[in-house]
Amino acid sequence: MKESTNNLSRRKFIALAGGAASFAAIAAMGLPTDWALNTTKVDVDSLSFDKIKTDVLVIGGGMAGLFAAVKAHDAGAKVLMVSKGRLGASGQTPFAKGIFTYDPKKEKLSIDEFAQAVSRSALGTNNPAYTKQLAEHSLDRVNELKQWGFFDSSLYNKSFSKPINDRNIPLQERVVITHLIKENNKIVGAAGFSLDSEKIIFYEAKSVILCTGAGGFKPNGFPICDLTHDGTIMAYNIGAKVTGKEWNDGHPAKSENAAACYDGWGDMFEKKPETTSVEIRHDLGVDMNYTAYINGGAAQMGPPGMGKQENIVVGGPYRPEEFNNAGGHQGGKKEGEKRPPRKEGKGGPPGMGGSVVGGSSAGMSIHKAEGIVPINDQCESNISGLFAAGDALGSYMAGAIYTQIGSSLAGSAVQGAVAGEAAAKYSKTVKTASISSSKIKEIKEEILAPLKRDAGYSAAWVTQTLQGIMIPNFIIYIKKENLLKGALAYVEELRDHHLPTLRAKNFHELRLVHETANMIVTAEMKLKASIMRTESRCSHYRIDYPEVDYENWNVWINIFKGEDGTMQFEKQPFNTWPI
Amino acid sequence: MSIESINGCIGCEECIKSCPTDVIRLNPTTKKAEIVYQEDCQICHLCRMYCPVDAITISPEKSIPVIVSWG
Repeated sequence: MKESTNNLSRRKFIALAGGAASFAAIAAMGLPTDWALNTTKVDVDSLSFDKIKTDVLVIGGGMAGLFAAVKAHDAGAKVLMVSKGRLGASGQTPFAKGIFTYDPKKEKLSIDEFAQAVSRSALGTNNPAYTKQLAEHSLDRVNELKQWGFFDSSLYNKSFSKPINDRNIPLQERVVITHLIKENNKIVGAAGFSLDSEKIIFYEAKSVILCTGAGGFKPNGFPICDLTHDGTIMAYNIGAKVTGKEWNDGHPAKSENAAACYDGWGDMFEKKPETTSVEIRHDLGVDMNYTAYINGGAAQMGPPGMGKQENIVVGGPYRPEEFNNAGGHQGGKKEGEKRPPRKEGKGGPPGMGGSVVGGSSAGMSIHKAEGIVPINDQCESNISGLFAAGDALGSYMAGAIYTQIGSSLAGSAVQGAVAGEAAAKYSKTVKTASISSSKIKEIKEEILAPLKRDAGYSAAWVTQTLQGIMIPNFIIYIKKENLLKGALAYVEELRDHHLPTLRAKNFHELRLVHETANMIVTAEMKLKASIMRTESRCSHYRIDYPEVDYENWNVWINIFKGEDGTMQFEKQPFNTWPI
Repeated sequence: MSIESINGCIGCEECIKSCPTDVIRLNPTTKKAEIVYQEDCQICHLCRMYCPVDAITISPEKSIPVIVSWG
C-alpha cells in the first residue's frame, strides 16, 4: 500500500531517516522530496582537516579574548586566537559603549567599600574577590585600550587589531569551535570548522581560555543572535562545573520594529565608547516583566536609564531601598542625559518608534554571573588547563544582578588579562599536548553528523520551537514550579528527539545546528536551576517563593555532568571556592 | 526586510567579516558581497557601519514579520 505524506507517522519517518532508506528510497515511495530531506551538496567524506599546535588557545574575539591573547603572549606563551566572528565585531563587545574605571585618585569609596556596596545591592550573590579585582585592574586596562585607539572610534576592529598585529599573534576568524578536548583529565585542545574554507580544524593546545561570552535564546531586539552559550556547554560536556543559570537579564525593547537591535538602542551603536565611574545600581529587568504579567499585555516603561516608570504595580521582585533607582541600564549613557536627534541617511533607520517594553533579552545571562565555575581568583576551572574570562566565566563579579554601570566591558578586560597570564604560566608546566587519532575520528564524526543525515529537523525550526517554550514571561521571568516543569518536559523532548536529528545542508546551517544544540542544553539547565532555587533574589523571581531566603539560599548553584551523563546540581555557599 | 540590498559593492569583504550571524557571503563569480541568509539578520547594522562605500541599505523589519505580545 502506498503511504501518503499525511499519514506517514513520525515513528516511521525516524525509522526511514535513520535507517537504510535513503533519499532515493523515499522518492521511490512517491513522497515529496523536499520534505525534511537534507539537500546537501557537501561531499563530507572528502573534507580535509588541519591540525595546529599552540601553547595557549584563546577562543573568542571580544574584549576578554583581546586581553587574554595579549597578556598570554606578553607572559611568554605562544598564542593563537580563534573567533566565530570578527575580532571586536562579534558577541556583545561591539555594542557595549561604557567601560568602568576605578580611579583611586577620584573615587570617594575605597575598593573594599566599593565591594561591600556591590554586595549590598547584589544581596550577597557577588564574589568579592572578583569584585575587588575589577576595581584594582580596571584603570590599567582602560589606559592600554586608550593607547590602542579604542576610544577614537565607534567600531572596535581597528583598535583590537593593533596589539594583536604588533605582536604577530595568529588570528583565525569565522571559525566555529564545537568541541573542547580533554585527555587524561587535562585539556589538550579544541576542534571546530571554518565557515569560509569549509574545513575541520583541530587545535592542540596546552591550555585553553574560553572568552566565548554567554548567550540567550536568540530573542528579538537584542544583538546576541551569535551568542548561544557555546563555551559553557562545550566545557560542561568535558566535565567542567558551570553556574548561574537561574539568573536572567531583562533589557527593554521598542514596541515598534521590536526585532531591530539597532533601532532599539538608538544611536548608541554609532557612539564612541566612554568611561564610567563608581555608580552602583540594582538594575532588575525582571520587574518590567512582572508589571506586564500583572497588568496584562506590555509594560510601558520610561526611557531606559531615566529613572521613570509608568504603570507601577505593588509587590514583585525585591529591590533594596538603598538602590531604589528604577529603570533599565545602558552602557555609557549618563543618568538624565538626552539623546541627540537621530540622523536620517541612506541605509539609516527611520527612528525609534513606540514605547519601551520589557523582555527583549529573554533568557540572556547576567554579565559575569553565568558560566564556568572558577576554582580561584585566577579564572581557572576544575579542569587542568581550562580557563575562562568575561561573560564565559561565572565569576559573580557584579553578583546576580547588574550592579555597576560599565562593569561588563571592564570586567571582561580585567579577567581576560588575569586568565591570559595564568594560562601562560600553566602552559609552562605542561610538556606537550596532543590529541589522539581515535579522538580526532570521534570528534570529526560528531561535528559532521548533521551534514550526513538524509533527513531531519532544521535548526531554524527547532530554535523557533525552543523560543516559543522559553521566551514567554510566565516561564523565564515570572517563575512557578508547575510551568517550569511543563517547559522542562518540552525541552527534554527537544533534547531527546530533535537534537539528535538536526540536519544541515551547508556550513552555515552546520553552525546553526551546533548553536541550537547548545541552546537546548542551556534551556534544560536554566529550567532545572530555576526549579531548584526555591526563593526570589536579584534577577531570579519565583512567584510561588517571592521572598529572599537568607537561611537556606545563600549559595550559588553549580551544574555538572554526572558519571552516567545526567545533569547534576550542587550548592556552593557564597564566598567560598568549590571543593 | 532587515538587510535589504548591497549596491556599489567594491568586494572588500568588510561586511562579510563584520556580520556576527554570517548573513553575507562573497559571490565567487562577481567577487561582490551578496545577501545569502537574510532570515538570520539581527538588524545590528555592523555591516553598514563597516562598509567603506555606504553600499548597504537596511530596514527595521525582519524578513519574517515578528508577532509580539503587545502587537
